[in-house]
Amino acid sequence: MIEHGPLLERLLEGAFICAVSDEHSFHKLQSESLREDLNHFLRPLNRRITHSEDGSVFFLAYHDLSEPARQQLSQQFNQTIQSLLPMLEWMQLVQEALGRDGALTVGDTIKLQEFSMKVEDNQSLRQRLALLAADKVFKSTSEQLDMQIKQVFKRIRELGYLHQPHRDRQFYIVTGKIEHLIELVRFIKDEENLPLEEGHAQQGDMF
Amino acid sequence: MSQPGSLFQLGRERLALIGKHADALMQGYLKGHIDETALSENALNKLIDARILWRPDEQAPLSLRPVMGELIASLTQDERKRQINADVAEHLDQIHTRVQSLQAARAKGDYAAAEHHMQLLTERVHDMSGQFGDAIESLWHRLNTEFGFVASLDDKIREIELAQKQLRRLLDGFGLLDFDELIALAGSDGSLRKLLVSQLQARISEHSGSLLEVQKRLVLLMARFRQQQERALLVSRMSAFLRQHPGFQIGDYPNRTKVPAVVNQARGLSACAAIALDRAGDRDTLSQLARAIPRPEQQPVQTEIAEPFAVVTQQVTQTIQKKLVEDVENCFIAVIDSGNAISALEYLQRNELEWDPEIWLFQVIAEYEGMASGAKKSFKLEKVTRPASRFNQVQIIEDVHLGLRFFGEFQATG
Repeated sequence: MIEHGPLLERLLEGAFICAVSDEHSFHKLQSESLREDLNHFLRPLNRRITHSEDGSVFFLAYHDLSEPARQQLSQQFNQTIQSLLPMLEWMQLVQEALGRDGALTVGDTIKLQEFSMKVEDNQSLRQRLALLAADKVFKSTSEQLDMQIKQVFKRIRELGYLHQPHRDRQFYIVTGKIEHLIELVRFIKDEENLPLEEGHAQQGDMF
Repeated sequence: MSQPGSLFQLGRERLALIGKHADALMQGYLKGHIDETALSENALNKLIDARILWRPDEQAPLSLRPVMGELIASLTQDERKRQINADVAEHLDQIHTRVQSLQAARAKGDYAAAEHHMQLLTERVHDMSGQFGDAIESLWHRLNTEFGFVASLDDKIREIELAQKQLRRLLDGFGLLDFDELIALAGSDGSLRKLLVSQLQARISEHSGSLLEVQKRLVLLMARFRQQQERALLVSRMSAFLRQHPGFQIGDYPNRTKVPAVVNQARGLSACAAIALDRAGDRDTLSQLARAIPRPEQQPVQTEIAEPFAVVTQQVTQTIQKKLVEDVENCFIAVIDSGNAISALEYLQRNELEWDPEIWLFQVIAEYEGMASGAKKSFKLEKVTRPASRFNQVQIIEDVHLGLRFFGEFQATG
């Protein structure tokens, strides 16, 4: 168990462990018997190891949904919902700016310089980015595009959706936590019966 | 039929011609037509005579003949233009004819003719099998590059659909090969049996295995592309929906009887530890750590000296606060005096007061809210606000208008 100390500590801190953020631990967690051992340890802390539906990311969930646990979940859920639209808007911005047709997925790489150049050349993207950066999730007060972009990416890294392999290089990799977010979006769509199937989703129709 | 010697000469000349004009021909391949100014009149005529270039119709520009295009596509594995030829029936007809000619020549005892037909037959069988091999290789190549020759996801999905059709045609083509019939056709001739039955059968079963694998992989790739497409749509449609319905209330999932797994995410804990002196064995390590702490270079300021300073600051702050309250009270008095509603910021400017506008507005609102309910009733305060962002409902107060309430009516400024 001693050797898994650092992994347990990271999990307890609330880390999401995927092939991008911590490849070694991610592979270790594939073993069901190890997960059982760790769960045994986590039981008194009312925690258990869980993973996203597609298995691309591991994290801790509550074992029993006690009243304090529910209060905590409510608070967290509200935060996630508040940052949901900005996150989705960010995903679309990156996708459009870098000319990709799939939504961002775990392992995708983003070079900030490339992104910044693409946004700079496009007035509409620039406006959308400025609006996004001023949102309370990102809280950028700068008028400069570069600073706005840096702030947005820094925040998203703090939220755990991006991994920055070298601290001094503006180069990011999308983590498995994004899959968890997508699963949440899909869940909300199904649960609330949102009419998202028809073609009334014109991108950028607010601008 | 041309004499073998002159055919050899002609073929060599024409192959050399292709090599000589490789640049112009490749340009033509990429652009879809030949730049006629890049070549001399003479060279153009030679290329046309050699059946390398042609003019599809009178108005059309000069371009590569289809077989030349196919040749280049095949040599360069250019999947945009590479053809998958799955026509088996034509090959089978040709094989039948050749076998009949061969048998007729043998019956007549014309060994030279029989050998010639045998050679053509062998080529035909190899062509057919090679064509399948090429088609399969092209499908593999497309798969392995994930249809990288088209950029968008929609195009990739269309290309996979096309590849699936081609694959089905190839498999149907294999179905046309009736080995019983080929066995009967070969009769007792050992070399024909080997060519038409054993060799062909081995190749076809190898191809079928490969095709089934391609089919499986195509289905997987299609599923992945469709999933990517679905994700992109989900993201764009959900964000459009949330923008169009800013007040949309999402269910209270954490407080349901059955909490959905997707929202069950435990809060982070940090495992803190502090220095403990109860274990003798740790003392050395701890004392080393203590010694390693850098000492402050400056002498710490004595508390006796520091204290009066803090008191002064506090006094200054209190004085400032008093002055601010006084100014705000004067502002309310001014409203009563004039009897008209005023803007708090205008008052600030008019009286050249040096308060920060934000602090000023805050104090005006605080003063109003802090009044006794009777006094409060005689004033009316209206906030001028603007939304902070379109992502939330936060309103920023830009100004407040203060007025007197006469008969419950509020006098707006301006």
